[in-house]
Amino acid sequence: MQWESSILAGVLFGVAVWLVLHRSFVRIIFGFILMSHAVNLLILLSSGDPGGKHAPIINGPMPFVDPLPQALILTAIVIGFGVIAYMAVLLYRLFLDFRASSTTQLYREEPAEREKSK
Amino acid sequence: MNSVVLPVIIPLLTAIAALIMGKPSLARRILVIAASTVQVAVAIRLGVLCWNDGPRAMPIGGWSAALGIILVVDLLSTVMLTLSSIIVLAGEIYGFYELPARFEHPLRIPLIQFLMLGINLAFCTGDLFNLFVAFEVTLMASYALLTLEADNWDIKQAFPYVTINILASTLLLAAAGMCYSLFGTLNFAHIARTAAMHAGDPRLQIIAMLFLVVFSMKAGLFPFYYWLPHSYPTLPTPVAALFSGVLTNVGIYVLLRLFCTVLPHDMQFAHSVLMWLSGMTMLLGVIGAISRNYIRGILSFHKLSQVGFMTLAIGFFTPASITAAIFYIIHYIIVKSSLFLIGGVGACLNRTDNLASMGGLWRNAPFIGILFLCQGLSLAGLPPLSGFWGKYLIVVAGIRKEEFILVGITIVASVLTLLSMLKIWQAAFWGEPEGSVVHREDRRWPRLAGVAAVLAIVSLSIGFGAEGFIRLSQKAADAALDRNRYIEVVTTVQGKDGEAH
Repeated sequence: MQWESSILAGVLFGVAVWLVLHRSFVRIIFGFILMSHAVNLLILLSSGDPGGKHAPIINGPMPFVDPLPQALILTAIVIGFGVIAYMAVLLYRLFLDFRASSTTQLYREEPAEREKSK
Repeated sequence: MNSVVLPVIIPLLTAIAALIMGKPSLARRILVIAASTVQVAVAIRLGVLCWNDGPRAMPIGGWSAALGIILVVDLLSTVMLTLSSIIVLAGEIYGFYELPARFEHPLRIPLIQFLMLGINLAFCTGDLFNLFVAFEVTLMASYALLTLEADNWDIKQAFPYVTINILASTLLLAAAGMCYSLFGTLNFAHIARTAAMHAGDPRLQIIAMLFLVVFSMKAGLFPFYYWLPHSYPTLPTPVAALFSGVLTNVGIYVLLRLFCTVLPHDMQFAHSVLMWLSGMTMLLGVIGAISRNYIRGILSFHKLSQVGFMTLAIGFFTPASITAAIFYIIHYIIVKSSLFLIGGVGACLNRTDNLASMGGLWRNAPFIGILFLCQGLSLAGLPPLSGFWGKYLIVVAGIRKEEFILVGITIVASVLTLLSMLKIWQAAFWGEPEGSVVHREDRRWPRLAGVAAVLAIVSLSIGFGAEGFIRLSQKAADAALDRNRYIEVVTTVQGKDGEAH
């Protein structure tokens, strides 16, 4: 279980970085969402191999899964959600101000500026 | 109530009260000023307590260290708390004088207080994941402050700021996850206790490098500093002074805390990487500063190179160099924030920030010129101002460690810093180009200059009373490096589960 999960976390992280390096705003946001999934999976991995362990219930069967990383992941998911929401609104405002839905459109020079700089 | 938690509670309550009060009014302003003054007093009182008795700990919720989160305050934390609360107070008063109440953005004060909350929590915490949460609170407030009063062009600069910081937060989470899997705990004291056992483990090196990368992104070291010089100049002056004085300070504080107290002291590779990145930052930051044409741009690039000085001292990693780093932080925060405020007064008088259109300030407002001279020369490192002592300590620590190339880079960067300060001096103060007008009839500028003058007086007293402050820095450095005391204070905290761990 650990091997598959770590490979999955690596694949997710790689895809996320590839998406973030794109021009289009939508792909950048999806990249960051995937990145937060990848790192949450990484934290889950740190709780150890869940095979053969039981649910963390008081007076339940004894070797139970470590519940702390799950609490960490919950906090991290919520924080990531808030930050992604902010980023989505920021990109929407950039779209409203500059009519740009990709980074090349955002940082393009107007033809008038090119005239001035000549 | 144990007063360790006060630096976290006071900004929270102030922010909520300011939000409830809604419209910016004189009453709200008085409340915020009073709360910020109480904050300064609490920080100083905690500092005195830590000077006398050593680190203090408080378990949140009453759970002992093995189960819960502990807030730990030692002399290093209280020095940082005091500095940041002074800068917040100065920035708020400056902002109040700059705009009358009806023009102020209603969310600016609550956001500044939430920023304070996150920063104080980062200074006080003794747990790695709590540090992540504190950073996220701080960053969220800073994202909002960055875009709050930004006009259409400035908002472009928020985009790299947000993306790079999200990446840094993701990496911090990854480092926290790896820390948990390696050490089994996220508490600083417990990590410090078990880190000695993992001394040769390559996983420890990986975690140390991850922390280095993350907090280099937050502090603004080469090659991660791209977001800083473009986003800070877009802020209004008091918020820019706040950001530059306080926000990157947290990154440097965490580097100090992690490398001195938590991780083992013999991480040669991480320390040398930190040294060389700092050297590059110092040089490139100051070259960038010379290239800019508007005051806030120059000061933002300066900030990069000064951060390089501080992290260079951390990278040398001897008790004397950690002392130098802490003294430099004390000197730098006051000087940098006051320079931003002085630049703001100049911009207020000339109605512009652009050096090409500024001028004539020395003839019309020599008081500002004197303030700028004191602070600018202090930044460049002229004796007997505080910058000289800071740089002297760093250079001596470097020579003792026989890192002569880096000491040479330090001296070159200081000379170039002087050059960039002269650029502002020539353009804004001595020069009188054709189109520049000095609006002396603007009634605001004496009060704004007064706020900057108070900070300048504090900085001058640091310079003239350098011995006392160096002793303070030495004691703070000893407190930071003394891991056994830190571990002992945390593990003897009595929790409600009966046992001390």
